[in-house]
Amino acid sequence: MKKLRALLFSLISVFLLVGVVGCSSGDSSKEASGDGKDEKVEIRFTWWGDTKRHELYNSIVDRFEEKYPNIKVKREFGGWPEYWEKLTTQIAGGNAPDVVSMHQFYVADYARRNALLELSDYVKENTINQGDFPESVVNSGKVDDKLYMIAQGVTMSGLVYNKKLFDDLGVEYPKQGWTYDDFTAKVKELKAKGIWGVQDFSGGQLQPNFRYFARSNGEDLFTEDGKLGFEKETLVKWWTMWDELRKAEAIPDAATGTEYESAPLEQNLFVTGKTAIHQIPANQLYLYQQQFKDGELEMVSMPTLDGGKQGEYIEGAYLSITEKSKHPKEAAQFINFFVNEEKALELFKVEQGSPGSTKMADFVKPLLEPAQTKAVEFIQSAVNNASTAPYSPAGVTELEAAFKDSASAISFGKMSVKEAADQFMKQAEGILK
Amino acid sequence: MQTFKKAWRRNAVAYMFLSPWLIGLLCLSLIPMLSSLYLSFTNYDMFSPPEWAGMENYTQMFEDSKYLASVKVTTTYVLLSVPLQLMFALGVALMLNRGLRGLKFYRAVYYVPSLFGGSVAVALLWRQLFGGEGLINRGLALFGIEGTNWISSPDTALYTLVILAVWQFGAPMVIFLAGLKQVPMELYEAARIDGASKFKQFFKITLPMISPIVLFNLIMQIIHAFQAFTPAYIVSGGEGGPLDSTLFYTLYLYQKAFTHFDMGYAAAMAWILLIAIAIITAIIFGTSKKWVFYQE
Repeated sequence: MKKLRALLFSLISVFLLVGVVGCSSGDSSKEASGDGKDEKVEIRFTWWGDTKRHELYNSIVDRFEEKYPNIKVKREFGGWPEYWEKLTTQIAGGNAPDVVSMHQFYVADYARRNALLELSDYVKENTINQGDFPESVVNSGKVDDKLYMIAQGVTMSGLVYNKKLFDDLGVEYPKQGWTYDDFTAKVKELKAKGIWGVQDFSGGQLQPNFRYFARSNGEDLFTEDGKLGFEKETLVKWWTMWDELRKAEAIPDAATGTEYESAPLEQNLFVTGKTAIHQIPANQLYLYQQQFKDGELEMVSMPTLDGGKQGEYIEGAYLSITEKSKHPKEAAQFINFFVNEEKALELFKVEQGSPGSTKMADFVKPLLEPAQTKAVEFIQSAVNNASTAPYSPAGVTELEAAFKDSASAISFGKMSVKEAADQFMKQAEGILK
Repeated sequence: MQTFKKAWRRNAVAYMFLSPWLIGLLCLSLIPMLSSLYLSFTNYDMFSPPEWAGMENYTQMFEDSKYLASVKVTTTYVLLSVPLQLMFALGVALMLNRGLRGLKFYRAVYYVPSLFGGSVAVALLWRQLFGGEGLINRGLALFGIEGTNWISSPDTALYTLVILAVWQFGAPMVIFLAGLKQVPMELYEAARIDGASKFKQFFKITLPMISPIVLFNLIMQIIHAFQAFTPAYIVSGGEGGPLDSTLFYTLYLYQKAFTHFDMGYAAAMAWILLIAIAIITAIIFGTSKKWVFYQE
């Protein structure tokens, strides 16, 4: 009898122990790892993008593993919106990947919440070499003077159109350095020829479209200290411009616009031939060109206000290391491989923009398709006009949602421009406390 | 102490057999629920440790126009989809109950939508069906009607989701069918002899006899409808648009937590939802004495 009882108690304690372990987050298993070269180390890398990019990045990672057989890289990826939702959850749960793709619009949110690792030590000891990076590109990876991201690719926004379509319609090409007045006139002219000029860019993301407009007006989305950087007047002007185009039926109606807003590249309004001009980051030009067997795509700068400033600012994709990474050294080696080694850049080319390192930018030049060369030329000429842009404050995603809501209230005819602008300014005040 | 030891000795085996369930309850339900309750009284952005905020999250809700919009959308959805779905399910169950040959086959076929219903694939399919150039509009075009863009018009988007919910009538239908089989045939025979019409038979015999099942289905479907998430998430691309017309409560909760980094507020929303569902369920149970007939 006593024996049976002993057995029972030991069984119970085993169950309880299992339970306790089950309750704890349970990532203690892969704790140990020294600097020993022979020891197997696993790091995780995540990025956003489409199917083509996933194939490409997988091959780059394969090459890294070949060169560093002791490091195994687990890959995670997703489309743009899911990417950020997943990353937030992972960081909060303490199981974020070691190397994460980063973007200027969101980096401040993560860096200021101490989710990212300061990288200057790895640059000093030359694990990450930024020797061939122009200063402006290095600085674009800093938040509050601390280095948090290494540029993978630098890109600029612009508008794209199909030359052949314009020829067929007998419409003149848009001119480099055009104004918003030229832009709306062109959109209306295209409408007269039977095609919507452009997708409705009045709402959606705060940048780049509205940001260029605000910057051209001498303002910006945010101030350096994280307040709203533009007056209500600017917003009213912006939405009025789009509202007039909408009422002239020169752009798609609200319902059609909503239907297509989350469509993948192959199915968006521009690629399906419903609109004639489209806003894209220049690095995507070749992806768009692949969709147009017929006709050559051309890019033109974002418009400016008549007599206004140039709106250009540097955009791009970056790599960061998360604060809780257990193998920051190996993660840094990985980043260095990605941005500095010919074996990686040979594949990357200008996937997310022109390479940050000028040496590598020169290296990839002869490897490019015509559309990619055109994109690089566009980026280089636009970079000359670029000036810095303040980082987004905390709460930017919520602000973006409010911006979108107010813009759709106008497009669906539920609010006047003035009411919507009032509503947005009031909400913004609450969000950017 | 002695008695405690004795009791423990006697019940140890029982606890051992219960332990898998107890561990599950503790780890997967109780601890997460209690931490969520705690978080609902804090400001927690998921990066830095939570800060105590008292009732702030709860009071803030009533000034949050998006929150109120989400309550309105969810209420509308529940009020429309649950009765429609139950009526539809009962209708089909009555049809299948008429001694059809190949009943098992039809029952399976009608149940299929419920298997797929909550899935991402079906929500995507719905987008295609009700899109501007979708099947529905093509069908309407045959009759010379030009349909709007159902999914992306704020006036119709929610109703497409109601239809999606009604279409998933399988689960309540199967339960209704089982209930209908239990109604004694002699009641109908007696009614027929007395000359009661089909209509009368339904309201005087069928409905009272299956009223416990109606109650069960009603409560299950109401809870289910309050927690609907996937269709709105997929159909609106995660935004609850256009113009918040499909901003379900759970969807807004999700947005607050995972895109606006406001886990405290989201936790508070979750608790309000729980309380609301509990109250509604209690009310239905309370009224059930008046309309549910238990055969004893």
